[in-house]
Amino acid sequence: MGSPRRMSARRCNGGRWHGRPATTAPLPCSQATGVSAPLRPNAGQRGKIGGGPWAPLAIRDASAGGNWSGRLYTVVLQHERTRPLCTAELLQCWNSVMATCLSTDLTGLTIRQTVPLATTHAESHIVLRLPLVCQGPLRDTLFVLVAAGFAIAPSSFAFYSWGGSLSNIKRPCPQDKKNLGSVLSIRYSLDLKHLAIQRSSHEIQFCNKETGDIFSQKCRSESESILGFFWTDCPTCDIFFVKTSGLELYTYGTESRNLQLVQTKKLSISWYIYTHESRLVLLASGIQCKSFTDFQLSYAGMISLPKFEMAMAKSEANSKPILAAEDVHIITVYGRIYCLQFDRIARLLNSYRFYRDAVVQQGSLPVYSDRIAVSVVDNVLLVHQAEAKVVIVYDIYADSQEQISAPLPLFLRGYSKANVAFSQTAGKTSGASEPRNLSDTKETTYGDQWKFLVPDLVLDVSNGSLWKISLDLEGISASSSEVQLILEFLQRRKLEAEKAKQLSLAIVRTIILERKQIHMVARAMDVLLAAYSQAINSGSYNKRSRTEEISSSNTLNASVDESITGIDVSRSINQKPESVPGNDSHNRSVMATSDLKTLVPANNQLNSTAPQRNQSLLTSSAATSPADFYSHVFSPIEEEMTGDGSYLTAITIEFLRSCSLEKLKVYPNTYALLVQILARDERYAELGLFIMNKIIEPSKEVAVQLLDSGRQNQQIRKLGLDILRQLSLHHDYVLLLVQDGYYLQALRYARKNKVKTVMPSLFLEAAYISKDPQHIAAVLRFFSDFIPALRAVPTTTHIITLLLSTLFFFRNRLLSSFVYDWLSTCG
Amino acid sequence: MGLTSESDAKEAMKLCMFDLRRGQTEGQELDKILFFYPADLPITNQLSVIGLSEGLITFTRIFSPDAPCEVIEAEKHCHVFYEVEADIWMVMVVEKENPESIWRVDALRSVLKEIHSLFVMFHGYIRALVDKEPSGGLVRSHLYYFIMDFLSDFSIGKKLQLPNFRDSLKEQGTLQMLTVGREAAIEVQSLVTLLESCVGNKQCYSMTMFQDLLVSTNLSPIDTLNLFTYAVLRLTPIALFRGASAWSSLRKTDTACSTYAGALQVTSISAIDQYYNSHDPPSLRRHNYPLVRPLQHSKWSKGKDGFLTTDIWGTEVNSLLPMCPTIWLHLTEEKMFLLAYQHRGLTVILLVPVSSVSGDQGISMLKQQIIENASLKMLKVEEKLSRGWGGENAYHVSGYRYLLVDGDRYVSRASPPGKVTTLTKESLVALSKLREEVDLEKARAKWDNSGREKDIEICIRAKNNSWLIARLVRGKELYMVLEKGSETLLFAADATEKFSERYCNGAFSLD
Repeated sequence: MGSPRRMSARRCNGGRWHGRPATTAPLPCSQATGVSAPLRPNAGQRGKIGGGPWAPLAIRDASAGGNWSGRLYTVVLQHERTRPLCTAELLQCWNSVMATCLSTDLTGLTIRQTVPLATTHAESHIVLRLPLVCQGPLRDTLFVLVAAGFAIAPSSFAFYSWGGSLSNIKRPCPQDKKNLGSVLSIRYSLDLKHLAIQRSSHEIQFCNKETGDIFSQKCRSESESILGFFWTDCPTCDIFFVKTSGLELYTYGTESRNLQLVQTKKLSISWYIYTHESRLVLLASGIQCKSFTDFQLSYAGMISLPKFEMAMAKSEANSKPILAAEDVHIITVYGRIYCLQFDRIARLLNSYRFYRDAVVQQGSLPVYSDRIAVSVVDNVLLVHQAEAKVVIVYDIYADSQEQISAPLPLFLRGYSKANVAFSQTAGKTSGASEPRNLSDTKETTYGDQWKFLVPDLVLDVSNGSLWKISLDLEGISASSSEVQLILEFLQRRKLEAEKAKQLSLAIVRTIILERKQIHMVARAMDVLLAAYSQAINSGSYNKRSRTEEISSSNTLNASVDESITGIDVSRSINQKPESVPGNDSHNRSVMATSDLKTLVPANNQLNSTAPQRNQSLLTSSAATSPADFYSHVFSPIEEEMTGDGSYLTAITIEFLRSCSLEKLKVYPNTYALLVQILARDERYAELGLFIMNKIIEPSKEVAVQLLDSGRQNQQIRKLGLDILRQLSLHHDYVLLLVQDGYYLQALRYARKNKVKTVMPSLFLEAAYISKDPQHIAAVLRFFSDFIPALRAVPTTTHIITLLLSTLFFFRNRLLSSFVYDWLSTCG
Repeated sequence: MGLTSESDAKEAMKLCMFDLRRGQTEGQELDKILFFYPADLPITNQLSVIGLSEGLITFTRIFSPDAPCEVIEAEKHCHVFYEVEADIWMVMVVEKENPESIWRVDALRSVLKEIHSLFVMFHGYIRALVDKEPSGGLVRSHLYYFIMDFLSDFSIGKKLQLPNFRDSLKEQGTLQMLTVGREAAIEVQSLVTLLESCVGNKQCYSMTMFQDLLVSTNLSPIDTLNLFTYAVLRLTPIALFRGASAWSSLRKTDTACSTYAGALQVTSISAIDQYYNSHDPPSLRRHNYPLVRPLQHSKWSKGKDGFLTTDIWGTEVNSLLPMCPTIWLHLTEEKMFLLAYQHRGLTVILLVPVSSVSGDQGISMLKQQIIENASLKMLKVEEKLSRGWGGENAYHVSGYRYLLVDGDRYVSRASPPGKVTTLTKESLVALSKLREEVDLEKARAKWDNSGREKDIEICIRAKNNSWLIARLVRGKELYMVLEKGSETLLFAADATEKFSERYCNGAFSLD
């Protein structure tokens, strides 16, 4: 199961560049080579479980016992039904997942499941999904490794995961426990083999997880202190330290026992920011901390980028505001790297774009709050206005900085009170536990204790829950009336591509049903087909299944880690759940069999979700093909709009124009539908014109539809026949000629084109019906001349009967002698 | 002086229209006559022509009530009958003496048909006009000016040149279409949609032409044909050019690929106008009807906004703005405003229901909207069409002189007239005769009414060793003249086969 998945997970994130200026080359993100991005349950299993709304499952490994090993794994499972999976099904799913991923035997299990809330709230467009609720003895420290999708609480060694299973991490070994002490931050190396623990501002301890070797790296002089450290995939070094005196790059020494200094960049540093996604480190210096030295530590080595200064507004003439680290954010959207600087005085969010040889200010976004936060979800920039408790969505594409929709509050979805309640219910011995609801637990958005983790996580310290931000595409598309803009926005979405695709089609369908002006519909279709054409050209559409892995995890393949200290999550467990009867359709705790669940102590509960992916259809692109248009737009609306043929025709023509503009092949049934619409409105002249001008391209579907519609109109039928002939569908053509009574022509045609599949008896019957002895003789003559083996034809007896009745009917001497001759040769 | 100079002794052609329901009492015979050309023919002569015609119609009705009399072939004359509406007949009398006077009856009859259908398009049904004013003054004056204007198109010098054998590779009363690529066709269709959306929710029709070829339309076939005929006569850039330079609009050059230089005949338009002034029948002068003469020459011009304007339909009472032209649709009998927009070779005619637009203000608003929304697209379409347009000889096939008719859709295509003139007279006369035979055969098949078209295949070697070929396959007709061909029948068959495969999608390939 390892190799193909791992390969796809290692695909680089770079390579998509938009809006590249002519002079300055943009700065690419570094390639994520060597990064073991979090692994997910393999595709085969997901496929088996099926598509539909996802349902995250939390599983608890109860077999090991003890606090430290109380791990929780989360794997995204899907099921198509709205009802929750039954326990047996869950166990079955889990069994396969665990057996393949973790080699864990399932002797003791507690399973609970959360069904996502199906309700959509049009008044919000950003949703926080399924909080990760930490209820355990996590009293002081929680280290969240965003990239790997898990969190570690070192003091208790609780281990949280939401990014999927971690097959290549062994269970934390007991000796780790001994190392607990003063911990400032922990970082796993990119290959997850080493663990770096910052013990103090002067010392970092390294632990080899395989050999168990431990060594420490300390600062040489007391004057300098370590601001931070990062693992890197730069070929020249493995880890770099940011110290007050500068940047130091190290490689692992022989046998991984020590670090060797590779390079030093001397400069005085006040603070720094780094994201692994961009591989960019910004080093702030100066009194106001607004002068920046920036390096990119990419697969190409360390690149020194131009220094720059950030502009800051002054409140008074002499005041010198100092830029703080939390006011600067590095974001990566559409493969471009930006730096956002929050100017508190001017209330502006200035954006700077990084190019290889320049840093260019791109403009400013307005800010309506003193406290803001920035997240990036699926290349969409979210600016949280914490005080106003709203979020503004920007899609920074092609240098447009327009907000997508009006500022709206966050919506917490899937905040199941039962998640919290689980710790209590788990202790009970009853069979099916009642779903619990904590009415007094209020999740307030943008509380003071909210920590925003790059790129899309929110840690609510006060409640001990971790939220993942996701876009509510339905909400966004419902809240905007700018059809063209919203379609372009949807087409750029990768994370929920299938949903974006369905939404796009639904929008087009809706505007047609609402009989919006044709040019508006045409523009909408232009947008979608242009996106499709682009997807085809770039190959992302055809490689759906392969690219799914990387593109859906934009945020994950470039691992970014953050360390948060001093989080008190203990409060949440003290809150008592209240049972709310009847609230079981969405939030339900499904307990495993009673003998299993008692084994588990009710701590370290973690209910989380993996980043959402499109499991069932494996679509990486929201692109809509012409065939999709037929099946999702034209075919459904045709039935609803039977009375408005001319409007539908106009729409279809615009669709064809769009297709021909993008040089796309139109799905033949679309033409057939157009024929049907025109014929129903008896617009035969136009239909003829369309066929003649090849606006309706000839195909068998069209021919069949023409013949079908041609029952009312002979000319339309002829057009159908002509298409059959042009497409060399000889058999059908000959049959239809015979049917129309042109059997002599049919015979000639059949001879010329060597059509042997039409039964001779058909011709004879047709001739017989014409009651013209000459014709019958001609047909007979034809067959006796050109098909000597007529006797072998199984219908011969039938023919003979036919002939005899012919003889009887006509009593024509010439014909009789001919038939007698013929019959005698047949024997 | 005029069309019918007294010194010409006799007019070679007589054309009359009469109503069998009128003047049935002795002494009232004059009342029957709705129109007579030449108008200055003595009344007795007029009455004798009509009397003969009426007598023949009555007589033949005894045997064939549904289709009484079609033609009289006399030694020196040929009478062509056409019942335009119930009991209203048109009769055309042509002479046979002239060596050029070799006629094909169907071609002549199609002239009569064209007169009637155009008249109906502008003025409504004749019967309705007759009923509206039983004295007949209204219908007579309408018919008089209309038909005189119409006939002026046929005048060469002082004579009328009706379609004769030289036009046998030509089909009257058919559309000539531009062959466009798929992309251009979609673009045109998209333009049509755009124009329709400018009009709003009301049902409107449009016809798009390039030079004088039809590109696209959503009108019914009959309306298309009428409007197309009118557009070719008066609205297309070539027609406008002719009008502006006061050149005679010679019918001969009115085909698909007209040559400006071909229309060098000196005008007789002014002569016609003079003729009106001096020869107006006294009966017409007595009344003062508001006359609309849509076929009047040199009345259309292109305005600054790209729309074609004319004062034929009069001007507004309190402004100098000309009234918007109106026509009647054949099927729905709905009155429509006619708007024609022209950009270089492209002419777009838009028909908007009179009932849906509030007077001239509504029209000018509509024009404004079209200019705002669609003019750019029209520019693009024109560019695209003219890029794909092969010029006047675009549809010439070297070695062949052909005529292709699609009877189902009233569409024809022929060798360019400049190429047809290279044929010898013998070939053309022979072809005319062949076509006459085919017409007869077709009519017979129609009467047999077997429910399907007759397939005919004729190859004739004419005296001058040219091959004359006629092929009728399921409603489509192909006529060809091959001069300088080899003498075997196989050659003729091969040539037809090749032509059919290459230019007709194999429609005429029999085996």
